[in-house]
Amino acid sequence: MPVTSSDVGASVTKRLGSELMTLMMASSPGISAFPKTDANLFEWIGTIEGAPSTVYEGLSFKLNITFPPNYPYVAPVIKFDPISPCYHPNVDLQGNICLDILQDKWSAIYNVHTILLSLQSLLGEPNNASPLNADAANLWDSPEEFKVQLMRHYRPLKDSA
Amino acid sequence: MANFDEIFGEQWKRSVEKICGASESSSLGFSQAWEIATSALKPRPLNEHPPPRDQALVLAAVQRIHKAKMTPFLIDSFLGDLRKCEHFIESEINESMGRYDASQDPNEVAQLIDRLAQWYKHWVPNPNSQSLYKTFQLAFQTHLFSFLPLSFPDAFKALLVETIGQPVESNVIVFQRFEVLGFLDRYESLLASVVYQQIELRVAETCPKEWTSRKLADLRTWLKEKIVPWLAAPYARGARTVEDARAMVSGIISRFDFHVCRTLCDLRIKEIFDIIVDYPDSMDALIDLKECLTRVDQRPQLVTALRKANHKRLLHPGADTKDILSQYVSTIKCLRIVDPPGVLLYKVADPIRRYLRERPDTIRSIVSSLVGEGGDLIDESEQPGPVQTVAEDFSDPNWEPEPIDAGPEFRTSRPSDVITTLVSIYDSKDLFVKELQVLLAQRLLAITDGNFEKERRNIEILKLRFGEAALQVCEVMLKDMTDSKRIDHHIQAQGQSIMHPTVISRHFWPPLQGSRLRMPGQFREIQENYGRGFSAFKPDKRLRWLPHLGEVHLDVELSDRTVSVEVSPLEAAIIELFSSKPVWSMDEISVKLGQLDHVTVQKGLLTWIEHGVVSDQGDNTFRLLEQASTSDVRPAARPMDIIEDTSPVVTTEQQQADQMRIYWQFIQGMLTNIGPMPIERIQGMLRLAPGYDRTVEQLGGFLEAARREGLVLFMGGMWQLNR
Repeated sequence: MPVTSSDVGASVTKRLGSELMTLMMASSPGISAFPKTDANLFEWIGTIEGAPSTVYEGLSFKLNITFPPNYPYVAPVIKFDPISPCYHPNVDLQGNICLDILQDKWSAIYNVHTILLSLQSLLGEPNNASPLNADAANLWDSPEEFKVQLMRHYRPLKDSA
Repeated sequence: MANFDEIFGEQWKRSVEKICGASESSSLGFSQAWEIATSALKPRPLNEHPPPRDQALVLAAVQRIHKAKMTPFLIDSFLGDLRKCEHFIESEINESMGRYDASQDPNEVAQLIDRLAQWYKHWVPNPNSQSLYKTFQLAFQTHLFSFLPLSFPDAFKALLVETIGQPVESNVIVFQRFEVLGFLDRYESLLASVVYQQIELRVAETCPKEWTSRKLADLRTWLKEKIVPWLAAPYARGARTVEDARAMVSGIISRFDFHVCRTLCDLRIKEIFDIIVDYPDSMDALIDLKECLTRVDQRPQLVTALRKANHKRLLHPGADTKDILSQYVSTIKCLRIVDPPGVLLYKVADPIRRYLRERPDTIRSIVSSLVGEGGDLIDESEQPGPVQTVAEDFSDPNWEPEPIDAGPEFRTSRPSDVITTLVSIYDSKDLFVKELQVLLAQRLLAITDGNFEKERRNIEILKLRFGEAALQVCEVMLKDMTDSKRIDHHIQAQGQSIMHPTVISRHFWPPLQGSRLRMPGQFREIQENYGRGFSAFKPDKRLRWLPHLGEVHLDVELSDRTVSVEVSPLEAAIIELFSSKPVWSMDEISVKLGQLDHVTVQKGLLTWIEHGVVSDQGDNTFRLLEQASTSDVRPAARPMDIIEDTSPVVTTEQQQADQMRIYWQFIQGMLTNIGPMPIERIQGMLRLAPGYDRTVEQLGGFLEAARREGLVLFMGGMWQLNR
């Protein structure tokens, strides 16, 4: 039976809907995401908070999540939103993220919930072997100086749409 | 002056002839005539009789005076004499009334009236002429009434009341006296009020709380037998024939009949709430009320009274929903008797329906009575029919317009039965069907003997009402039960197991109460063995155990005795633990059974303490009593706060609360990520949550509740999380 694009769209929408449900019901601390509008399930906004006892503790960051039409066979595109820049060895100044499961290690068994959990742990445990931000990678081993740089870049989130 | 003409007609003629002749011979001089006339007319005390005189002569004298055109003077002189004698009457009245005031004996009044009538007769001008008599009557009555004290009307009334019980013949004389004295005209309203009072008295004596017989008929008989004959005396006094009398009295009778209806109606309206409570014993009272209402327009009063009584006695938190429902059903039935078109019902029912809609357990009560669970709401004789509304049929030749007090929103609903009316409290049947499933689930799970015939019958009856499609889920549930039996048969055939589980389809059953209970020891083995048998039989199905539901028959073998009990799985699990070691602490038990909370564990332990198998050692430790100890068996008082939750099925209320918890997660998610939002946008976004069906108003109420709990803030028309 030929698979039409609308069928595909419907099945992706269904999958995204159930992922949203899973994420909402999991209510893991410090991670959250929601579609930007109820009309388009392919654009989400995410929020992650730094895990306790890391330099990122108490800070929260906004993410833009875009799902491709052939999700989940292709990974979603996730970037830090410019309103909350993240100073991190694996995040460049444009907010792009270097995380293996979002690139070559992507698999359809991952979902928004697992991605957000991975990102949260990435904040505390960067992969300094493949840095996007070399300065940050170099500073990582001296936490005080890293924290100073981090706070220079960080802009606290305001509750505004 | 009928009497005069009849009696004296002949004499009168002769006398006139004589006087005419005499006048011609002028044998009677004027002064002589005056003398004769005044002395004949002069009023005297009762014991004094006028000097005997030839009637004809007196008549001639009066004629003579008349001829001389001196009659007015004669009348004046007569009146003057009359005035001089008034003091006789006055003193007599004062004496009699004085005695009456002291004794309150109507006989005094009767005697007084008798005396007065004698005075009257004694003083009636004799001989008579039209003008003289009229003048006398007026003057006598005027004087008489001016002497009567203020208390006389009451005394007269008392006398009238007294006469009601008397035989007709004696009353005729009494009433003739009344008429002669002019009392009947003067006190006509008093007469009517006596009857009114009698009616009210009679109703108050015989009718209150007497709903089991037709009181209206009784009252009418009483009116006919006691009051009508009495009325004939004053009201049909000029009647010559019986027909005449009847015609004369009929007007006044219908007035009194109206009063009977009105009084009874007032009483029944006052009692209407209790009459409805007593239905169907109070059937006769209702028929009476109906008849009264056709005569008296008290319908608005009835509606007001019943609404008020309902508000005061029924529609408050103290009343059980079941009671409200049964009273509502009785109200329906009663008001249908009183007012078949249902306008009264419509007006009275509205507040009840509105109140019931707000009650959380209304649906459950209705549904449980639908399936015949201790509810007598349904009349067995009532034909179950599909739930539907019937449009008015104007081509019906027996069509009648709606009653005059029907409001514009009134709809005739003649053919609908009680269930339909109850179901129509809510806008849709879906709520009922859902509640029905919950109830059915409870009942099915409670059945242990495998006899589902009653439930099947119920479902069939309900299908007639709600339709086949709506009850499909219930069908599946029933099928699960029978299938379970079959599956169990099969698995038992493969390998004996002492366990007989019920296998239900999660999708078709309402959510069941969850529990963390994990069965320990041998129970776990039995469970696992059975599970293996099942997956061999149905490889595509997966069993998820609900070990806390069901019951276990246990023989607990102790060193000196065997205790044989029916217990819940939890209780069985607890005692199973004691078979491995004799002393357990609360925490240990809780952990072993899958992190159960202490209250639940305690409840299970209490059962065993009651059976004398386990004893409480204090400090939350418990010991198995291998040997029965008489001293240690104390009837442990069950703490009152541990309530047996007998229902394994989650109620629809709880289901709704659970749903709202899910929606709260979504609201939190969107507010965290997108920021503050107006309520319309939240409502729109909640479309993403599966099964969301709340209105903006409901959402508003929910957000408001969350705001009170300090979870969200409302600023500038936007909702935001409170951090």
